[in-house]
This record gives sequence, structure tokens and C-alpha cells, in this order.
Amino acid sequence: MSASPASPGFPRRRLLTGTAGLALLLAGCTSGGSGAAAEQAAEQTAAQGDRLTAQVPVQEAVVAAYDAAVAADPALGGAVPDLPGQAREQLDRLRAAAPGATASSPSAPPGPPAGTDVRAWLRDQVSAAAAAHAAACVEASGAGSALLGSLAAGLRGHAAALA
Amino acid sequence: MADDGTTAGTEDAALAGVLAAEHAAVWGYGVVGAALPVEGRAPAAAGEQAHRDSRDRLAELLDERDADPVPAEGGYQLPFPVLSAVDAAALAVVLEDGTSAAWVALLDAAGDVPVRQLAVDSLGAAEERAVAWRAAAGRTPVTTALPGLAGS
Repeated sequence: MSASPASPGFPRRRLLTGTAGLALLLAGCTSGGSGAAAEQAAEQTAAQGDRLTAQVPVQEAVVAAYDAAVAADPALGGAVPDLPGQAREQLDRLRAAAPGATASSPSAPPGPPAGTDVRAWLRDQVSAAAAAHAAACVEASGAGSALLGSLAAGLRGHAAALA
Repeated sequence: MADDGTTAGTEDAALAGVLAAEHAAVWGYGVVGAALPVEGRAPAAAGEQAHRDSRDRLAELLDERDADPVPAEGGYQLPFPVLSAVDAAALAVVLEDGTSAAWVALLDAAGDVPVRQLAVDSLGAAEERAVAWRAAAGRTPVTTALPGLAGS
């Protein structure tokens, strides 16, 4: 079947254009009209920031897991060259959105046990982090929920690529 | 107001946005399947069914809220001609990326926990399908860091 953009069978509406280019900004809080509303908004903002900050170590562990996996199996790094960088990009976005989050020196996570399937071990680490981000996404709201959900989906994609 | 202060109207509008994207995806997967060889249509059929399920769930949700579900268009303009299996895979990527953006918008607007759960589950499933289609389309990388988010 072929169809060109000018096919008369299709209306003018382009496929999915209405969902593209969504700008989701984390700084989009509105001020409340009353003192109580403002206080409630401030509390929600603080809680939102706490949820995001709590996920930073989870993502740091993903980055560390990639480093450990590639060190243990250099060929894996060649097979999935883009994934470690994407994990770092995710971490950068999360840190930028999490107030007070700083680059920490997490306790070194255990690398893949000797003799284990490194790729499967890495996939398990990534899947666990995706589940953690997804759970936090559901408890969050607004732009924080959107970011955590996107992080979770990105890591689900990583796990699929590692399968 | 929903349970976290988000207005129900905002959430309903975002639900309608996802429903519109799911309608387009169901339609688009018909094109994807038709451009694939018979023996290679199973992923397209699975993707189409997943989007049908999401479409139906979203329509139910909107109906429960006394909001009118947005109907499907009679047809949609393809973003490019779909003349080969590679074109079909590339179209499937467009469909999955489009629905991902809509699910992320819903997460941004949703006030109800069950809605966020639906959104994050569906978003992850869409990205998993997108990974397979990017590979089939010969795209690299096959993954995205932040599916559905602008600037990712």
C-alpha cells in the first residue's frame, strides 16, 4: 500500500502533529491566590522536589552499573555504545530538576558477580531502576511525574535493547 | 479538583489528547501492517492491538467522567510515503513516539493516581515497541533517553 502526503484520501490533519513538541517545564508552579493556597502549593512543591531527589541515587546506581558492566565485559560496551551516555543524560536531567541534588559519591554498587552473564545482570539492574522510577512517578505529580515517567520508559527501552 | 490540586478539566483534556493519539496509532498500524510481508506482520498486529486496548480504556475513562471521547478521524495524512518494510518500521516509530509524547503530557496533567499508573505503564510499553521498530528501521541509537519529553 502506498500513500503520499498529498493523497486525496487523507484529510489535512497530519498524523499525530497535535502531540509533538510538548514543552514540559519543571519550573511551572503557579502562585496561590490566598495564603493557605500558597502554603499548600509550597508544600506540594517541596514534596515534589523530595520525590525527585530521592530518585537521584537510583539513577546514579544505573550509571555505576553501566560502568561496572562495561569494565567487566568490554565487548558489551561496543554492542550498546549509546546506552551509558543516555543513562548519564537521564541523571543530568533528574539532578537539574531535583532541588538540592548534588553529584554524590554513592557507595560503590557491587558489579556483576564473577562468571555471571554480564548483560543479563545489567538488564536486571536497569529494569529494577525503571520500576523504581515508575513507582515514584505514580506518587509524584505535574512535571515531576512526567520526568520520572519518561525516565522509567527510557530505562524500559534500555532493558529491551539489552534483552 | 483532583486529589493533588490538578483540575479535572485539565486531566480530561490530556486524556482526550492521548485518545486522539491512540486513534491515529490504530489507524497508522493498519498502514504499517499492510506494508510488511505477511510473515512479518505479527509485531504490527501486536502493536495495533495494544493501541486498540489503550484507546478503549481511555474512552471508558472519559465516559465515566461524562466527558465526550474524541472520535477518530476518517483518515490521517501520512508523514511520508510508506512503500517498504523499512518505511513501515519508520512509521511505527512515529506512531509510538507520538503516543509517548501524549502519555507524558497526561502525566504532567493527571491528578489521579490510577490515571498516572495507566500513563506510566503505557508509556513504557510504547517505548519498548519503539525500540524494536527503530532497530527494524535501521535507526541508531535504538533507544531514547527520555521518551516523550521535549528536547530529549
